Amino acid sequence: MLRHLFTLIWNRKRANLLLISEIFFSFVVLFGVGTVLITAARNYLAPRGFEPTQVWRLLVRAGQGQKMPRAELDDVLRQVKALPGVQTVALTSNNLPFTFNTNNSDFIYKDRKSPFANTYDADDHYAEALRLRLREGRWFAPADDGTHHRPVVISQDLRDILFGDEPALGKIFTYNIPGKATKPEDEFQVVGVVDNVRMTTDFDEAIPSVWKRLIPYDTTHWETAAVLVRVAPDQGGVLQEKIARTVAGVTRQWSTEVRVMEDDRLHRRLYTLVPVVGLCIMGLFLIINVALGLFGVLWYNISQRRAEIGLRRAMGATGAGIGWQFLGEMMVVTTFGVILGSLLAAQFPLLNAFDLPAQPYLLAIGAAAGAVYLITALCAWQPSRLAASIQPAVALREE
Amino acid sequence: MTGAYCRYSLSYFNLFTRFSHLFLMENLLATSPETRPQPLNSPAATPVLRLTNIEKVYQTKTIETVALNQVNLTINRGEFVSIMGPSGCGKSTLLSLMGLLDEPTSGTIEVDGRPVTAYSDRELAGLRNLKIGFVFQSYHLINDLSVVDNVEVPLLYRKGMSGKERRQRALTALDKVGLSARTGHFPGQLSGGQRQRVAIARALAGGPEIILADEPTGNLDSVMGEEIMDLLLALNRQEGVTVVMVTHDEQQALKTERVIRFFDGSQVS
Ligand SMILES: Nc1ncnc2c1ncn2[C@@H]1O[C@H](COP(=O)(O)OP(=O)(O)O)[C@@H](O)[C@H]1O
Ligand SMILES: [Mg+2]
Repeated sequence: MLRHLFTLIWNRKRANLLLISEIFFSFVVLFGVGTVLITAARNYLAPRGFEPTQVWRLLVRAGQGQKMPRAELDDVLRQVKALPGVQTVALTSNNLPFTFNTNNSDFIYKDRKSPFANTYDADDHYAEALRLRLREGRWFAPADDGTHHRPVVISQDLRDILFGDEPALGKIFTYNIPGKATKPEDEFQVVGVVDNVRMTTDFDEAIPSVWKRLIPYDTTHWETAAVLVRVAPDQGGVLQEKIARTVAGVTRQWSTEVRVMEDDRLHRRLYTLVPVVGLCIMGLFLIINVALGLFGVLWYNISQRRAEIGLRRAMGATGAGIGWQFLGEMMVVTTFGVILGSLLAAQFPLLNAFDLPAQPYLLAIGAAAGAVYLITALCAWQPSRLAASIQPAVALREE
Repeated sequence: MTGAYCRYSLSYFNLFTRFSHLFLMENLLATSPETRPQPLNSPAATPVLRLTNIEKVYQTKTIETVALNQVNLTINRGEFVSIMGPSGCGKSTLLSLMGLLDEPTSGTIEVDGRPVTAYSDRELAGLRNLKIGFVFQSYHLINDLSVVDNVEVPLLYRKGMSGKERRQRALTALDKVGLSARTGHFPGQLSGGQRQRVAIARALAGGPEIILADEPTGNLDSVMGEEIMDLLLALNRQEGVTVVMVTHDEQQALKTERVIRFFDGSQVS
């Protein structure tokens, strides 16, 4: 019977072309939406590599056109650290997790080049403040004070790219600026490797990262200082106010702003959720449209094929058999559409489009195929029941 | 008028069995020697189909149409029966009842001595597939299937038949109707007479006991009609297939063993 259906559909390929192309486009849309959703979900479920809960960010700004002497800044950090309820304080660069500030560069080790990696400035307490997970070596320590090269910690993904199977600790790499002699402070010596981090949004993948050590008591004058503050559980507005007052107690010229990192995270993820939900709604409308179209075409087909239905009944088909035949035909048509769609979709992992791993694409192909079969089966269900209920004697009447 | 109905003789069956010899004699005399029907194989004819007190009423919102009223009829194995009568008097209705495609409003239809009400829908479908072949005025071929695929359709509904056997049977049936050279054609590429021969091959493919033909030559010119008629006669005689045929053609009817006529609601013998 299946071969018969294939023959029937193959011989009707011109009439079925419209159906097949509708299914093809539905498949492609579902594949696209599926890839986005699966990628986002996979990222969401992947480890974050750090713990943003109970972390606040403190921004300290010098007045208009002014700079902060490092000595005074260190004084502020010490006093904030001393507040009850504060566990750790770390000085870092502006590109804090879940904010829109980024700072990236590409690096080179021998002939191995990295893709663009996020680079952060971090002091000796940073790892403790964000609870990064150390895999190799150690985080920065006062012992690094006298080193000739700039101590860095890198994420596991960057380690794999630059060093592969070789040991990473102690290796020195530089910015990837061809033909330019590197200054000693731009030569980075690996002292530690940490787990991959996803600091952009909840739904983004990990990005290779480099943390460069901020040297204490350096002579840099800061316009803005970004400070991570890890606090004890259940700390709130009272402590935030205390921190602001503490900064003001050191100098009245500086302004402060305390934000909860968890709020940043929730805010930032809207920037992914809103377009993704929009995409899903658009996809849904498109699919509903296609489904209604399919439904209409099937109804029409059945009204056109009443005589054939009567004939098959006369030749020994049961009503249920007719229903299954129509459902089966739809499944065969769907199979043609799904095969065409899969051929297109398979190009994405094959051509390594968008630098994504193959697995989400393959999952999306499977999910889109499943969804398309489900949709067409649902659309074909009612018309098939109609076909099954057609009275053969009536369908065969000829005037 | 949709109210017109046909009345089959109440006593036809009894009459026929009692005076079957007489009847056959009459027929033999009435037909020319070369088209004379073969006598029935067994002296005690075995009924294939028996219709008793059949009434069929079509009920729509506005009107009630009595299509068949008190029909009593037996079709015996190996017979070639023609049914004649004006348009709208229930001939097609009768054929769809005999073909187990519809149920009578009242009365009983027996297949092999068992009333059809005793069969489930699935069993009825199986009976149609196994025992009955249909031929229609407008052929009812599936235009998107080749000739041989069309002929295979009834075999698709036969459990456990391999694709190879289906194809073999279809080709044999096509050979019988003289269309071996057209198996790969599509219905649109054939003449009306050829299409009807495909339809007959399709009816034959399943090896039915009885062929029900509703005006099989109605859409054909007289030459093609003759061809189809000869084919049905040959099948009846050589293969022993029982045939019930609705026709408007007196000449065709004369070539058959038995003519059931009705006109304006009453049967004329
Ligand atoms: N499904 C139906 N619904 C209502 N009336 C019907 C239906 N089928 C047949 N009829 C009526 O029953 C009568 C007999 O029809 P039919 O058996 O087709 O006659 P014939 O084949 O002798 O021309 C006609 O009056 C026809 O209009
Ligand atoms: Mg008719």
